[in-house]
Amino acid sequence: MQDIKRIWKIALLITLFGGFFLIYFIYNPSENSFFIPCPFHFITGFFCPGCGSQRAIHLLLHGDVVGAFRFNPLMVLTLPVLIYGLGITISNWIFETNHRFMLFYSKLFIFGYFGSAILYWVLRNLSFYPFNLLAPSS
Amino acid sequence: MGPPPDNNLVWAILCTVLCCLPFGIVSIIKSTKVKELWAQGDTVGAQKAADEAKKWAIWGAVAAGIVWVLYVIFFVVIGLGGAFAGY
Repeated sequence: MQDIKRIWKIALLITLFGGFFLIYFIYNPSENSFFIPCPFHFITGFFCPGCGSQRAIHLLLHGDVVGAFRFNPLMVLTLPVLIYGLGITISNWIFETNHRFMLFYSKLFIFGYFGSAILYWVLRNLSFYPFNLLAPSS
Repeated sequence: MGPPPDNNLVWAILCTVLCCLPFGIVSIIKSTKVKELWAQGDTVGAQKAADEAKKWAIWGAVAAGIVWVLYVIFFVVIGLGGAFAGY
């Protein structure tokens, strides 16, 4: 019974991540219009901390780290931490364990990260050098 | 003492890169309290802060989900409108 539940969880994850991988690997959001643009950018015209992530993910899946960095440096830098954190969360969910990623409990990390995200939000909307490098390249 | 309760920060980070940072802020504030309370031996308080962080992360995700669904509907309507305007 336990095993069946586990297999379902793994199958669900493979479907989700596999679908995500295929869509972002095959289609380039810069060329295909069926990707939904960021609502914040669409409404206000300003960039949010996540803008450029879809295009950056497409490039990353093709091994172009530098190109991805030009679309969204914050996302590229966050990705290793995010993958590790999600990995622990997912393995806790599947194997019913209680592992913790202690970096997520550090106040320095939490305030540092979200402080930089807000600063990044402001800076990437400035249209002069060097801050214009933070905006998604067009 | 065992591991502290899961403070669910990973979801707040995910929200940030998916463009819904504002929704996650309360969750972030709550999650900073988990370890502190746990270190003080206040296991009940730590669990409560962790539950609150989880609750706000879920509300944030639901709010973001609603915004996204409305937004996608808006796009589909515009798309259909554009398609019909051609005739």
